Amino acid sequence: MSASTAPFKVRYRRSVGDPDLKPRLLDFQRSWRESRDAQVRRLEQRTERSFGELRRDFAAVKDSTLERLDDYIAEFRAQAEAAGATVIELSSAAEAVDYIAGVCKSRGIELVVKSKSMVSEEIELNHELERRGITAIETDLGEWLLQLAEERPSHLVMPAIHQKRQYVAEILGEELGREFDPDDIPAMVASARDGLRGHYLSAGAGLTGANALVAETGSIMVVTNEGNMRLATSLPDVHFVTAGIEKLIPTWADAERQLQLLPRSATAQTLSTYTTCITGAQPGKEMHIILLDNGRRAMRETGTIGDALRCIRCGACANVCPPYQIVGGHTFGHIYTGAIGLVNTSFHHGIEEAAGPQGLCVSCGACQTVCPVDIPLPKQILEVRHRAHESGHAPLWEQIALRLWAKPRLFRHLMGLAAVGSGIARLVGLVHRDHLRLPMPKRLRWRSVPALPLRSGQTLVKSRPPQRPWPNSPSTGQTVDLFAQCLADRLLPTAVDSAASLIEAGGASVNLPDSQHCCGLPAFDAGDWETARRMAKHTIEALEGSERQIVTPAPSCVISMQDHWPRLFDHDLEWRDRAAAVSERVHDLAEWLEGPGRLPNGCLSKGSRKAWTAHRFCQASNRNDAGARIDQLVERLTSESANPLQEPDVCCGFGGLTSLAAPEVGEGILERKLACVAESGCDTLITNNPGCVIHLRAGANASGASHQTLHYADFLAARLPKDP
Amino acid sequence: MITRDERSAVLAAGLEAAQGELLQCASWGDVWRYASSLTNETPTVSPAAYEHLQQGDLPDVNDPLRSIADRAVGITQAELAIAETGSVLLIEPSPRDRAVSLLTKHLIVAVSEGDIIEELADGFRWLARQPRAASYATFVTGPSRTADIERSLTIGVQGPSRLTVAVLA
Ligand code: SF4
Ligand code: SF4
Repeated sequence: MSASTAPFKVRYRRSVGDPDLKPRLLDFQRSWRESRDAQVRRLEQRTERSFGELRRDFAAVKDSTLERLDDYIAEFRAQAEAAGATVIELSSAAEAVDYIAGVCKSRGIELVVKSKSMVSEEIELNHELERRGITAIETDLGEWLLQLAEERPSHLVMPAIHQKRQYVAEILGEELGREFDPDDIPAMVASARDGLRGHYLSAGAGLTGANALVAETGSIMVVTNEGNMRLATSLPDVHFVTAGIEKLIPTWADAERQLQLLPRSATAQTLSTYTTCITGAQPGKEMHIILLDNGRRAMRETGTIGDALRCIRCGACANVCPPYQIVGGHTFGHIYTGAIGLVNTSFHHGIEEAAGPQGLCVSCGACQTVCPVDIPLPKQILEVRHRAHESGHAPLWEQIALRLWAKPRLFRHLMGLAAVGSGIARLVGLVHRDHLRLPMPKRLRWRSVPALPLRSGQTLVKSRPPQRPWPNSPSTGQTVDLFAQCLADRLLPTAVDSAASLIEAGGASVNLPDSQHCCGLPAFDAGDWETARRMAKHTIEALEGSERQIVTPAPSCVISMQDHWPRLFDHDLEWRDRAAAVSERVHDLAEWLEGPGRLPNGCLSKGSRKAWTAHRFCQASNRNDAGARIDQLVERLTSESANPLQEPDVCCGFGGLTSLAAPEVGEGILERKLACVAESGCDTLITNNPGCVIHLRAGANASGASHQTLHYADFLAARLPKDP
Repeated sequence: MITRDERSAVLAAGLEAAQGELLQCASWGDVWRYASSLTNETPTVSPAAYEHLQQGDLPDVNDPLRSIADRAVGITQAELAIAETGSVLLIEPSPRDRAVSLLTKHLIVAVSEGDIIEELADGFRWLARQPRAASYATFVTGPSRTADIERSLTIGVQGPSRLTVAVLA
């Protein structure tokens, strides 16, 4: 079994065991990001429109086409058939394979040359034709290398990105019977010409995909760089096109809109080398256009996931995905890779194939920010994860942990016990810099286990007098409910206390609603929506029945309440309204300190210069939240500027349950982050989500890094004037 | 709107970004002289270019592709050039029309200065108006390339490794 077709667990172990993969993909992601951003900036300047507007426009084209898909298919068919093509709509992979094999058999075709087509990968065409005695040869260099190595693509656009040149030299040597110097890439590339030329000349059919099917003229548009697609459609007498039905667009003007976004997002090119537009069969030749459904109409019916049909297969969603950088596409996906692979696999290849990688997504939201058709991928992944959970694909330890977490009283008792245990560990010298020195399995040694403080955040707040307010503060006279967050309350109690002090400094007094526990996020993230609903209801009950504004030091809970609660109570009008009445009052602390509870500029300036830098909680950043840029808040209040941090919005690797379920992923992402932090030269790292603080701190502790990690509330509250 | 001169300049910049090059020519004669200076062979020419040149090796009628495979230099003609992207639009309905642009190593594409248009959108507007959308149309932007092995950009894979756009005054 090859590296890419083994069961998920095997693929996972293999990819995390490959020492070259991570650095190579990191390099790729960074250089793609730089050139793609430059391309997008130029496009924005030229068109005088923002990326957001451009993608919204094209997404609207795709949406309206999908709404009237049958009409456009009919128009496409009429035009293409008038130009001599045969257009056939097929509903399953098996039908598509049978059709192609049938045409080949009846024409006596034994060899098919292929240009890159993801749909042909989707239906595993090569393998299926082989079984029927027909040989299919890939002619795109990357795809050909994969075929020689019996592998699947690990990226939508750079299919062989996981292969090392030494490996390429080996497989080419085997195929062509001569030695290759791994450092002479041009020679290896040139060998494709020699290795493939004979196949073009003897093939009976050429097969291509299509980046777009243009209804108004019945044309296909294909974007390539190598020139192989034009060869594969010029020599053989039969041309097969395999395309998903979602590739329909109405007009050439729409094709141009797609091209503004596609090459820039895919390879950071203004335009790829060849944009080939073919209309109908060429004189004396045949053209068969196969429009494949294979789960697409079912996707369309599935509310949230239907939007994924806008996908133009640019691969950008993988290029910004932190876990993809760690494990690569053979693990992060199935045949389709990257974020979109986590969404569409269950529809094309079943929930079994889709379930494995679901737990790798850290829900950072980066993918959607670069998707040229604005697909809500993170939201869709959570939906698929939920379906996987429903169909019994959740690990047992996870189910048990969530059940315990869901019970506020039990949770409190367990945490109390853990705190006492930590206290004893402290006494006997098992605690170093607030982390337990425990013998840990090797897989988990990259992150220390935090020792639990004895007192919870809420206890700290209650056991001290209120902070003196700044004169003339805007929120004077108000009372604010503080939602501590379950995790912060026990593991990062000072942040809860500091948050309360800062709110008080801004003029409001702080109330701690009784019996508050967890908003349900961990369960929601794990796909266990039943448990999440229970936890959410508990929180709603704790917070409702007042007009007070609610503030929390945990932006993840704000997102949970505002984005996830409506989904949890989608079919329950009563609870949906009750949830909304709570979530519309909720504020992230940073947003509060910039807005209703605004503290004056420079009020926390101390004259001392600390070298600090800020990691921004990725989800809040990628969602463009008002309080996401905590560096700006802290700079404004302290009059000190942050040390620049590379990739400040890239995930730190906490990712809720991901870092437990897939520790190597958490470790790899954390390593990327800590390297940037080290490079910043800071001695204090601040960040905004309690989960990130705990994770970054535990990682720094394990790696022996010297900087200190703080919630920004702690960083700021330490500068508040002390009462005499 | 930008002027003719500006259009040539933008085209040159676009081409450069795509590893292609621009050559100003006074006439088809200049194009031929340039092509001949590159090789000892007779340059190959597409049927469209032959109309203007009346010389050069045409692809064989019965086996056009084999007859052109790996020839050093070829000349063809574009309908349009797109300044914005540095592209040329080739309309090549038959394999014989395509042979030169597919298989020669150094491809020279002649285009009249008056056929340089500003944006890709204009190119698609033009294309949409053609009968049967001109059957086999390709926007070519620079020489063929791949980055499939360790992302190392290599120019010249299965198509031309050099592309010159000859702008005819
Ligand atoms: S949300 Fe983040 S981790 Fe998940 S697929 Fe998107 S980029 Fe990857
Ligand atoms: S989901 Fe978006 S970013 Fe990902 S491949 Fe599709 S279009 Fe590109």
